[in-house]
Amino acid sequence: MASDTGAGTEPGAAGTSRNGLFRLFGRRTAPADSTAPGEGGFWLSEWAFPLFVAALASGIFAGTHLYYVYHTGTFSDVAVTAILKAGMDSGSYGAAAAFGAGFLFARVIEGPMVGILDIGGSLQTGVGIGIPAMLLASGVQAPLRHFWLALPTGALLGFAIGCVILAVRRATVNSPGNTSTFGADVMMGAGNSAGRYLGPLVIIAAATASLPVGLGSTLGAALFYWWKKPLTGGAILGAMVAGLFFPIAGK
Amino acid sequence: MDKTLVILLESAVIGALIGFGASAGVARMFHAPKVQGMGAFRTLGELNACENDPVAHFSFGLGFFFNAWASAVGTGALTADVDHRIVPHWAAALSMSRNRNLAQTLHNPRRMAFVGSGVGLVLVTVLNTTAASIPHSLQKVAADVLGPASEWLINPVMPIVFWMAAVDAGRRTGGWGTVLGGLAHVVMGNAVPGIVLGIVVGKALDDLGRTRMTRILAGAVIALFVVSALLRGVDLQLLQQMKVHVPHWLDHIHHVTGTTPEKS
Repeated sequence: MASDTGAGTEPGAAGTSRNGLFRLFGRRTAPADSTAPGEGGFWLSEWAFPLFVAALASGIFAGTHLYYVYHTGTFSDVAVTAILKAGMDSGSYGAAAAFGAGFLFARVIEGPMVGILDIGGSLQTGVGIGIPAMLLASGVQAPLRHFWLALPTGALLGFAIGCVILAVRRATVNSPGNTSTFGADVMMGAGNSAGRYLGPLVIIAAATASLPVGLGSTLGAALFYWWKKPLTGGAILGAMVAGLFFPIAGK
Repeated sequence: MDKTLVILLESAVIGALIGFGASAGVARMFHAPKVQGMGAFRTLGELNACENDPVAHFSFGLGFFFNAWASAVGTGALTADVDHRIVPHWAAALSMSRNRNLAQTLHNPRRMAFVGSGVGLVLVTVLNTTAASIPHSLQKVAADVLGPASEWLINPVMPIVFWMAAVDAGRRTGGWGTVLGGLAHVVMGNAVPGIVLGIVVGKALDDLGRTRMTRILAGAVIALFVVSALLRGVDLQLLQQMKVHVPHWLDHIHHVTGTTPEKS
């Protein structure tokens, strides 16, 4: 148990090992005290993964509970939350359930194949919106009403998702003779560029809402861009400041 | 108990949990594909873009903090950026403030997890409790500006970005992406899951050919679409819109399972 085949070459230099030269995860049970922190120990082991997913999913599910009861706290974007809210208002949860389940399934298939589970699609949309919508559609309200039920429910869901991902991983990427990356590079490019569109969209929405807010948003974005900061933040701040002095006319 | 106090306590627990999980997952991303990570490709790219500089990490997170704050104020949604951007970047900035060794900080799940749970605890509590104390005019701006913008991002901007990536990646991913993307919008209300699955299936067919695994993959995808269609009652809507008589038994199944679509 004590002999680590990777680090055996030079045990003294363990502290400086970088980028996983000795990355033999899931084989050693001793605490990682001598190697670079975490390397080869619990924190990078395969079976630790479901635990991390469980922690995150538990928090996200409880966040949806907070939203269900107190109307604040989902870990999803405004538009996605709006789908759940539509369900809460009308009692028809089909749209939210299908939307969330679709993202959950796609990301659970994609995650193990590319090595990175997208928490936006799988946990925030799937566990945070889709599964609560399914529960509510079938009349189960208790996990969303009570905090002490929401935490274990989310943890259980996350743990199950983590285990499924490890199982798919065994069957695909880690299976002998596999040569495919399943489009990881394609997804990486698309995911990277999608976020960049938010800034301009904010400015367009601001200018549609009212003229002073639009001007403020444009100015803020330009300043942030000049300062080499993400221009989305500037567009939002500019719109908020302008809106403070020139409130948008309410209906 | 006081409502604010309940929100405060629950937010603290939730924040610590998401910070712990998200930061550990993000640190593990740097060891992918050998270790299964969790986060997002864009998170990975943005963390690398900050080039190991605590100040850059902090200010990047700050921009999105205001975004999340505004959104929490207006709509109660903390935005996906909390897990994707603010927590990872602030945890990175904090854990790097004294030690610039990447292997011991950003790439170390243990350190990131503990720093991250602290960041999450404070962040989520602040977001959830201060939201109620914001002037009404600001809430209106947040709802009127961020609402439409993020709606457009999810539909149609994100589908188009993924769609073009699929089309550019080759004829097979383009074909699968187009068919599944279109079907996904009909069935689930958003094309992105379909296009992502199209890319996965198309690439698998490109690289591996028709093996047992790719057949199982395609079968699972088809099963998902059928189940989603039934959940939303898309089959009923389709028959109605084509002016075909809906069989009584089908109507009955949807009625019993509570999946009858809303009347539009």
